[in-house]
Amino acid sequence: MSATVSATSTSATSTAARVDPVITEIVRNAVVAISEEMKTNLMRTAYSMVIYEAQDFTVGLFDAKGNIVSIAIGLPNFIRGMSDTIKAMLLHYASEGDNGAMAPGDVLVTNDAYVTGSHLNHITLVVPIFHEQRLVAFSACMAHWADIGGALNILTRDIYSEGLQVPILKMYAAGEINKDLLAILRMNIRIPERGMGDLHAQTAAVRTGAKRFLELIARYGAEQVLSSIAAIMDHSEAMARKQVLSIPDGEYSAESYMDDDGVDAGKRIPIRVKVTVAGDEMTIDLTEVSMQVKGFYNCGEAAGRGCCQVAFKCLTSALEKPINEGSFRPLKIILPPSRVVSATKPAPMRRWMTYPMTVVDTIFKAMAPAIPDRVIAGHHADLMTAAINGNMPGDGKLFIVYGGLIGGGWGAKYGADGSNATICINDGDTHNSPLEQVEAKYPMVVERYGLREDSGGAGRWQGGMGTEKKVRATSEWMFNAQVERVYCRPWGLVGGHPGAGNSVGVQVGDDKELRFPSGKVLGRLLKPGDAYILRSGGGGGYGSPLDRPLDIVEADLIEGYISRQKAEACYGIVFEGASSRIDRLATEAKRAKLRSLSGAIAERDNEDPLAEEAALLEAGNEQSKGLYFTEGMLFPLRCC
Amino acid sequence: MPSAPSFRVAADVGGTFTDIVAFDEASGRLVFGKTLTTPTRLVDGIVTGVDKAGTSVSLARLFLHGSTIAINTMLERSGAKTALLTTRGFRDIYEIGRINRPQAYNLFFRKHQPLIRRSLRFEVNERVGAAGQVLTALDEAQLADIARQLHELEVQAVAILFFHSYCNPAHELRAKELIEQWCPGTYVSASHEISQEYREFERTSTVAANAYIGPRIKTYLGEIQERFAREKFAGSFYVVQSNGGLFDVAQAQRECIRMLESGPAAGVIGARAVCERLDLDNAIAFDMGGTTAKAGVVLERQVLMAGNIMVGGYDEGLPIQIPLIDTQEVGTGGGSIARIEEGGGLRVGPQSAGAAPGPVCYDLGGSEPTVTDANLVLGRLSAGNFLGGEMKLNFEKARQALSSRIAEPAGISLTEAANGIIRIAATTMSNVVTRVTTERGLDAGDFAMVAYGGAGPLHASMVARELRIPKVIIPPSPGHFSAYGMLMADMRRDFVRTWFRAVDKLDFAEFESLFGVMEGEGIATLARNVPERERIRCVRAADMRYVGQEHPVEVELPASLFEARDPAALKRVFDDVHMQRYEFNAVKEPAEIVSLHSTVIGMLDKPVTSAIAALADGESRSPTPSSRRPVYFTESGDFTDTPVYDRAMLLAGHSIAGPALVEEYASTTVLLPGDRMEVSRYGDLVITIARS
Repeated sequence: MSATVSATSTSATSTAARVDPVITEIVRNAVVAISEEMKTNLMRTAYSMVIYEAQDFTVGLFDAKGNIVSIAIGLPNFIRGMSDTIKAMLLHYASEGDNGAMAPGDVLVTNDAYVTGSHLNHITLVVPIFHEQRLVAFSACMAHWADIGGALNILTRDIYSEGLQVPILKMYAAGEINKDLLAILRMNIRIPERGMGDLHAQTAAVRTGAKRFLELIARYGAEQVLSSIAAIMDHSEAMARKQVLSIPDGEYSAESYMDDDGVDAGKRIPIRVKVTVAGDEMTIDLTEVSMQVKGFYNCGEAAGRGCCQVAFKCLTSALEKPINEGSFRPLKIILPPSRVVSATKPAPMRRWMTYPMTVVDTIFKAMAPAIPDRVIAGHHADLMTAAINGNMPGDGKLFIVYGGLIGGGWGAKYGADGSNATICINDGDTHNSPLEQVEAKYPMVVERYGLREDSGGAGRWQGGMGTEKKVRATSEWMFNAQVERVYCRPWGLVGGHPGAGNSVGVQVGDDKELRFPSGKVLGRLLKPGDAYILRSGGGGGYGSPLDRPLDIVEADLIEGYISRQKAEACYGIVFEGASSRIDRLATEAKRAKLRSLSGAIAERDNEDPLAEEAALLEAGNEQSKGLYFTEGMLFPLRCC
Repeated sequence: MPSAPSFRVAADVGGTFTDIVAFDEASGRLVFGKTLTTPTRLVDGIVTGVDKAGTSVSLARLFLHGSTIAINTMLERSGAKTALLTTRGFRDIYEIGRINRPQAYNLFFRKHQPLIRRSLRFEVNERVGAAGQVLTALDEAQLADIARQLHELEVQAVAILFFHSYCNPAHELRAKELIEQWCPGTYVSASHEISQEYREFERTSTVAANAYIGPRIKTYLGEIQERFAREKFAGSFYVVQSNGGLFDVAQAQRECIRMLESGPAAGVIGARAVCERLDLDNAIAFDMGGTTAKAGVVLERQVLMAGNIMVGGYDEGLPIQIPLIDTQEVGTGGGSIARIEEGGGLRVGPQSAGAAPGPVCYDLGGSEPTVTDANLVLGRLSAGNFLGGEMKLNFEKARQALSSRIAEPAGISLTEAANGIIRIAATTMSNVVTRVTTERGLDAGDFAMVAYGGAGPLHASMVARELRIPKVIIPPSPGHFSAYGMLMADMRRDFVRTWFRAVDKLDFAEFESLFGVMEGEGIATLARNVPERERIRCVRAADMRYVGQEHPVEVELPASLFEARDPAALKRVFDDVHMQRYEFNAVKEPAEIVSLHSTVIGMLDKPVTSAIAALADGESRSPTPSSRRPVYFTESGDFTDTPVYDRAMLLAGHSIAGPALVEEYASTTVLLPGDRMEVSRYGDLVITIARS
């Protein structure tokens, strides 16, 4: 059967006049509710902890051209991935009929990393929604499968070593499942029952979205629903333009860096962004972001463009629902190919999520002079995960678990301290795993999960605190950490100090902790009694620490969020002798003197307790020489 | 001569009103009282309300109570100075929480704020492993040192959370014993007493909240007891829990947190009672008041339950992990404000004008048009007959506000604006019903809707249309329905205990003995109030999942499973439930048990709802309207001359075709064109919704 694949009219100005504001609002509520229902549906039936607890997925509705109508996160940084994937599918099935055409009952699939912009674990399913033989919309779902094949415990150097690649195909053609593809999937992934369970859950979610969308059309008519959607997008565009208009025109740029690509140890990766605001339009130029790298820290263009849209949304329409394409119309993005955020085949992509977070942070940094009350200081900007795998002590079954996801410090902003122990910007409603469950399921005991005192950058408003988690093995397993931003610490704004950087450590038995020259530790075998320690960074501070009210500093001391040493070094506090009481007069005098010395704050920064942390790191550098890349230490995995 | 106590009195204390419903066993009559809540001394309002209902505390044989005091103490942060004792290494668990950012793009997002500050969270040297094994013994000397600090700090309440206490509570029990001994007068609560499920953050939050609200609620319930004693009350005093069951006041003082959602829970219990008397299996309980609308589900005469709630909302709230009736809520009520957004969108809620200043038509200073104002302009509410005429509504002000703030900026007529507002409100509320039905694999079209709360009867038929719900029931006195539901509740104890086990290796002897322990404890607790063993019913269920899955489903375990002792049979029951719930299962995959649920119910005598006066043979089935007025309906596209009926005048067997309005003291039922209403023998308005 053939159906017309034609985009519906989205000519906003012609439809807007006929649109009923009441129906528009009803449709707006409905598309948000449909995408939320898809999300709940997926979460409740998913097998992988990555989907259920970590919420590493995104679902949504799209118009007939693949533009976002409403997405429910999931994963905020995947904001472009599904839309771009649908656009690629439209192109694929439009070309000369070689691929057949999309038809009712189809469920399309791909995990092409250069299309989704992310890694191969992200399986995207798409249902083209037909109404009376006309393509009216798409329902789509991306979810992270715990495994997609490929090599474990190594630093991959190309896409082929990262697992099975599924081109754009039909998982279901007119309602019939593609058994050949299913067999290929089953054969190529470890723990296939999980993958198959997640496939079921995803299929149910996209079909639910399609069903609900057709119910909406049945109730209000296709033209009303589609013109309401056009009106919603126009409305979001108008709101966003108004916000951009309120930003002073100008060119704003900023720079930061990543520690390294895991291959060329210690070679910094520059992240340079340029933002131009002119009237009600903003242009983000990522031309000067580093070229793609050898290690698996690349991501595709969809993610590169996605991080610009994430930053833009945070600054212009943070709470606006539905998340839709209209909001992004005032944003132009310049992103040539082959950058680290627009990588081309066969660049390795497994840790696709890491660099874009720093790009987002750097855009905020660039905009700080223009809109100091709307931006935020740097955050820890890493998922802080530990990829762990091994065999269960009892039955020897393979287990794969994401340790970590410990949250970290967020930057301070005008009017408020940064958030403590909160997931990085790549993720949204992502949860850590209950430790009692981790201990019941896997051979490990958690010894500590707490706030990292002093880790928040000092400031009038203090950066949020990072966390520290220490986990001891009770049987042998492999530990991998791919943590970034150890050296490029979350920066402060407007005179605020940087927060602590991220770090990773390993303790062999009860020996002194081994530190590593970066946060990248691959294929490290932990024996019973050994432990790993993840420490997430704090957020950057905002404003001069010398302006932080003494009552608040005092409260932080009482609650144990900061040490006496930090109060003295960073906040200019003078105590009454050895007591814990602040000598207010002496403190004011000291603060006045410090204020009069230009550059004093930067000097103070060198004295803060984090300097000690840096020294430790250097020591670790020496101590752990030869342990850096341990690809050779492969652990024999038995798949059962 | 004073008569013997024959009343069962239920009091539902809400933020604005205290509602009383009392049942006289001697006459079989229900009486009602409504009075303003007296925040400074809540018991005064209760006594006044009971008097207003035409009875007195001394005539009560049974006093049933639900209150918003528990949730308000949490939301207002007006609880006790509380400390937390926790396992070494984990004092920040409560503050770290689950690290999520539900407002993913909001740079100014604020996460939950613990009820206990960091300097009052103490780490204790002790550790129990996941299998219940002691890894580090409890350090009693260190505990003594902490107790001294608690004393110096004048801490009023102590919460105790030790890891894995759900499988081995010994350390929590011992620590509680010692703290009670060393800090007399302190309210001490251990996590396993409230929740025996894994998830250390949620359990911490639950026990912390219990300790935090404990002293205030203990005092409050004590005050009621004292005052009632002075009023010569000689009956039993039970409190409604969030699971819809009752518990003894003494236990309520120890486990206060279980009162959290007593009002909403009682409403759903009332809806179940309506199902029983009208012989319905499935119903959606729909409660709409001034600021929110809530929905719960009765499925095959069983109320659907949930395992936790976020107090203060999902984004920033604190989780409470207890069994409770699953209700979902949306910020749409009579007071919800309508406004035109920048860019022209018409939005309704979640901002609410509340009780003060209230809707514009209340004429108490409100200037932003609300759902109630829209209803007035459409003729659905009467300016002269609101609250039985006790409160006059200002039609002109409502009309002006809707014109200038909605109709003109949106470029639509006043009627379109007002009608648009209630249509939007209806779709928003239909989405909350969807959250308790379709999202649980249920089809709302298979349910009747029992609508109550002051605004429920006004909007229920519109909500039902959105969801293809065929039947709407408005029970008598919908504004007192939660208090009525309390009268229909049983004594109940729920236990949930985390117990990870593979189904294929299940040791049935151990499995059954664990249920036996929970049931034994439940029966012992209830025996004080329900001594007859034949009135006690035990229900067993388990949370189960396929190995590798995260989210379990609750599976009821029939007694036959324990006779057969066959793991394969248990697996089949689970496979079936999974199929029913999610439309797929994995018969070949192994399954595991996550938690055991034991419910022990002590059945109480219920009021027998008496029939109302019925039509005599040969009398016309059509009642006479008390008045007529023009009312706007979307279906007719214009104002239609509509009959208005006084509910008090309706007899069983009466039948009315829409459009029509039925007015009573605190609410108005709207019957839409095409719908038909019958009065049941118990006085329920049973509306058959037209198929569109």
